[in-house]
Formats: sequence, structure tokens, C-alpha cells
Amino acid sequence: MLFDLFFKTRKPVEEDLPQTEGGCGSGSCGCKKKKEPAPVEPDGYDMKMGKTMNRRAAFRQLTAGLLAGAGMVQSCSITADKEKREEGQLKWEEYFKKNYRLMSDEEKSKTVERLERLYEINTGKTINVSTNGAVENVLYGYAFNISKCQGYMDCVNACVKENNQDRSSQMQYIRIHEMENGQLNFDDADDNYFHEVPAEGHFYLGTQCYHCENPPCVKVCPVGATWKEDDGIVVVDYDWCIGCRYCQAACPYDGRRFNWQTPEVPEEEVNHTQHYLGNRLRKKGVMEKCTFCIQRSRSGKNPACVEACPTGARIFGNILDPNSEIRWVLENKKVFRLKEDLGTEPKFWYYMD
Amino acid sequence: MKQLAVLGILALLMVLGVTCTPEHGEEEHSDSHHLLEQLKQISVDSLNYDFSRFDHVDKEKLVQIHQLMEGAEQFLIPDRLAEMKSYPCSNCHSKSLEALQAGKEPGEKKSHWDIEVVHAKTATMQCATCHDVNDFNQLHSLTGAPIEFRHSYELCGQCHSTQIKDWLGGAHGKQVGGWAPPRVSQTCVGCHNPHKPAFEKRLPARLNTEWLK
Repeated sequence: MLFDLFFKTRKPVEEDLPQTEGGCGSGSCGCKKKKEPAPVEPDGYDMKMGKTMNRRAAFRQLTAGLLAGAGMVQSCSITADKEKREEGQLKWEEYFKKNYRLMSDEEKSKTVERLERLYEINTGKTINVSTNGAVENVLYGYAFNISKCQGYMDCVNACVKENNQDRSSQMQYIRIHEMENGQLNFDDADDNYFHEVPAEGHFYLGTQCYHCENPPCVKVCPVGATWKEDDGIVVVDYDWCIGCRYCQAACPYDGRRFNWQTPEVPEEEVNHTQHYLGNRLRKKGVMEKCTFCIQRSRSGKNPACVEACPTGARIFGNILDPNSEIRWVLENKKVFRLKEDLGTEPKFWYYMD
Repeated sequence: MKQLAVLGILALLMVLGVTCTPEHGEEEHSDSHHLLEQLKQISVDSLNYDFSRFDHVDKEKLVQIHQLMEGAEQFLIPDRLAEMKSYPCSNCHSKSLEALQAGKEPGEKKSHWDIEVVHAKTATMQCATCHDVNDFNQLHSLTGAPIEFRHSYELCGQCHSTQIKDWLGGAHGKQVGGWAPPRVSQTCVGCHNPHKPAFEKRLPARLNTEWLK
């Protein structure tokens, strides 16, 4: 029975394969005009804007017999120009790349090259995708002063701009909650305030991904597409994520966001300084979240929200460095974290003056 | 056939069993909820970074703060003098304050008409509380000791003792240039207008969600 099933699924492959192989040899093309390229949807690398195809659908097509590849089929078309062929080839290679954590340095640089080239082909602009690893002896921590935040929302603007978040769905990693003085209840907090700030008798508390030392989101990922880096940053491999959203359900802090649609960022607004695990452009059906601006923090800069905050309510740094500002805050101020009882050990503390 | 299928399933289960061993599930995680306690036990003798805050700020426009408290770190702040547009003040204040005021036509606008002092009550603060009327190029402390403009935090700290303590430690104020050492922080007047130090009410930079529109 098992073999029957196997055979049934295999059969079309065997039927299809000779067709494509016969039609299109390696390099020297036997196909003529009459053979229109099959309506092959872009496979593998579907990160590019405007192309709709999820990983599952792509996989189904591949196993159904188009294994011989979009790249080769495309190369048969006389109309297809050199760039189209190159794009097909790059996408093809992108599709079969490994999980980022399993890549060698060489493989990392190759995928980066492909991503940069694909962006160039599609937009004519160049991006710079970094694969900088964690800096040794660094564990990032964050402190948020709830006495100082005035709810101005400059952090959110800076974050959206820095991290190439989808403009059409108004994706935001940071939420600023307006709370009544003397209360700390998220049910009663106003997340959609619409007036001059700071409002009388209220304080403001910002939430985002807390980069837990014991992150529940990482535990539940069925494909290992999200993990905690050595410097404590919890990251997502956007090309490995299958979009099951288990992590979103597991996060007790509403730290994760899902791309329900293909993210739209006007080219002129795209931040071209990117990181593979950070702000590079995402695709439909994958998770994303705050990465402490990994593309900035790993080169010594502060996350965009820290830099943009006009009140100095946000402190960032290396909590392993006994002389850092963040350590002083942790050791000298009254600090608290949200839902400490869960044992998630967020590296995001709140404090008061 | 059936046997083969059973064998196949068994083999599949074995393969799954091997591959599904937790790779990162059970990291050694102590029961202690005090990350800070754990941190203190970690000794990082040499922190070597390939970058510093100097990468992102103009080193020439920074000054080191004075030692205000024992053991307090002497970090760097932006040089206020480099930011002041009409310094030295003695360019205009060439005569004494009385002489300058006497020289005004009746009804003529004051020189600093645009400055409104909203900083404590007038019983506590007036211009001369901070500005030295005998030498306009500098400030002075409550007891008359001279204070340079670039070290005005010494002046603020006289009254705002909790704030200056937090500032020296790193809980108050804004980090400049990044997180890596050497420390560079914004000085008091970098964020607060000394004549009107409270932050003003304004509309948020964006609406929390524009769906409301």
C-alpha cells in the first residue's frame, strides 16, 4: 500500500521528466518557438515583491515534475534576455539554500551575493546585506524608563523606516501603551491614542520583542527557523520560516508580527543597509519582529528607537559590561519585567526615576 | 507487502527518532530568576570591540565631564560651546548690565525678548541665578563659583540632585553615538531648554494606528 502511494505520486515525475529533458538540453537548446515555456511561477526565491507563491505551492509544483527547473526552461525561451536567465538561476539557487545556521561562511556570502544581485536586477539599486555574527562577550539588554516616555511615537517612526516594515499593513514592532497612573493593566491601556501627549494623569509603556533568554517562541518553532544568537538577539530566518505562527502564539508579550500579505515598501524608502537576520526585505507568509536593529547594534550603533527617542527613555547596551549604562540601571534603579513568573527571562527591563 | 510496509514505518520512526532529538530545546537554564545575579558572576576581563562611539560622533566636538562624585565615571558630552552661535557673550555684553539696560530707548525691545523663563518660581530663579552678570561669558554656581558653559550640568546638579545622580550613572539622559565604550551622553541642555526645561505637549509623531482615519 505504502509503495502504491509512493508510485502514484512518483508517476507524473517520470512522465514529465523526459519531456523537459528532451526539449531542453544543457546549454544547447533544442526547443523552438512552438514550445512556449510552461507557465512556471517563480520558484524558490519568492522574496521579491509582486510575486505571489508560497513555499508549499512551489514545492508541490516541483515534486509534480517541474524539477528540471524554471531556470532551464526559461533559458530555452528566445525572448528571455540574459538578466531573466540570471534571475531564474539565482532564484533557483536561493530556493535550495540551507538554513542560515547550517551555512558555512562561503555559503553565507554566496546567498548574500545572490540577494544583492536579485535586488539589483529588479530595481537597479544596490543593497548591502550583512551577515555579521555576534560580537564576543556581548549580551544585549534594554531598559525603558516609564517615567520619561511621553508617548511621542518617534521611536515607532524610526523603527518602521529602519527595518523596512510593510507600509500597507502598517506593520509596527513597537507598541506604546497609554496607561492611567497607578495602574499596569494592558486591558485598560489605550494603544490607539489620538491626542496631544503626554495626557494628564497617564504614563506610557512601550513593548516590543524582549529577546528572552529563555524564549518560548524558539522552542515551538517546528522547523528551526527562529533562534537565539550568541549575543542574545532572537532572530528569524525569513527563508526558512513556513509561516505556521506557532511562535506568535507562544510569545507571551505580543512581540511577533506576521506578513499576511507581500510587504510593500516604496523603493525610495527602502533602507539599503541590511542584515540577513534583520531588516532585509521580507516576503508574504513569514514572521518578523524586532531584532534590536541587528544591522546597527552589531556595529556598535544603538537601535533606531533608542537613537530616535527624544526623551532618553530608552537605554541599550551590553549587560556583560560592568561599566555600561544599562548595567548601572539594572543595579541601581528599581527595575521590573513583565510576566517574570513565566521564567522567560526577558532582556528588557522597565524602570522609574 | 504488509510486512514491508510495517518495516518501512518502523524505519521511518527510527529515522525520525534520531533526527528529532532536541537540538536546542533544553538549554542549561537555571531555575534562578535573577539574571542579574548570574551576570555578576560572569567576569569579562577584556571586552574588545572593533568599534566605538567615536565612529558615529565627531570626537573633536566632545568634552570630558568633571569629576562630580567620587567614583563617578568621567564620560564625554557634546561641547556646548561648539553649538552656541553667538558666543562669546561679551561681543554684545561689553558694558555692565545696568549700562546696557540704561542705554535702551523707552519701549525698545529687550535684547533677549524671545527668552521666557519658565523654570521654578521667580522667588527661586532669575537670570542671574545661573548667569554671571559680571562675566557674561560664563555661568556661576549658587555661591558664585564660576562654571563654564560647557560644564553647565554642574549648575543643574545643584538643585536636581537625583537627576544628576541618574545621569552620571546612565539612567537619565540620552546615549549618543551608540552603545559601545567610550561613553558619550547628551548633557542636560542638549535635551532641555534651560529657560523652559519641561518637555512640551505635542501630537505624537505618528498615530499609533492610522486605521482610525
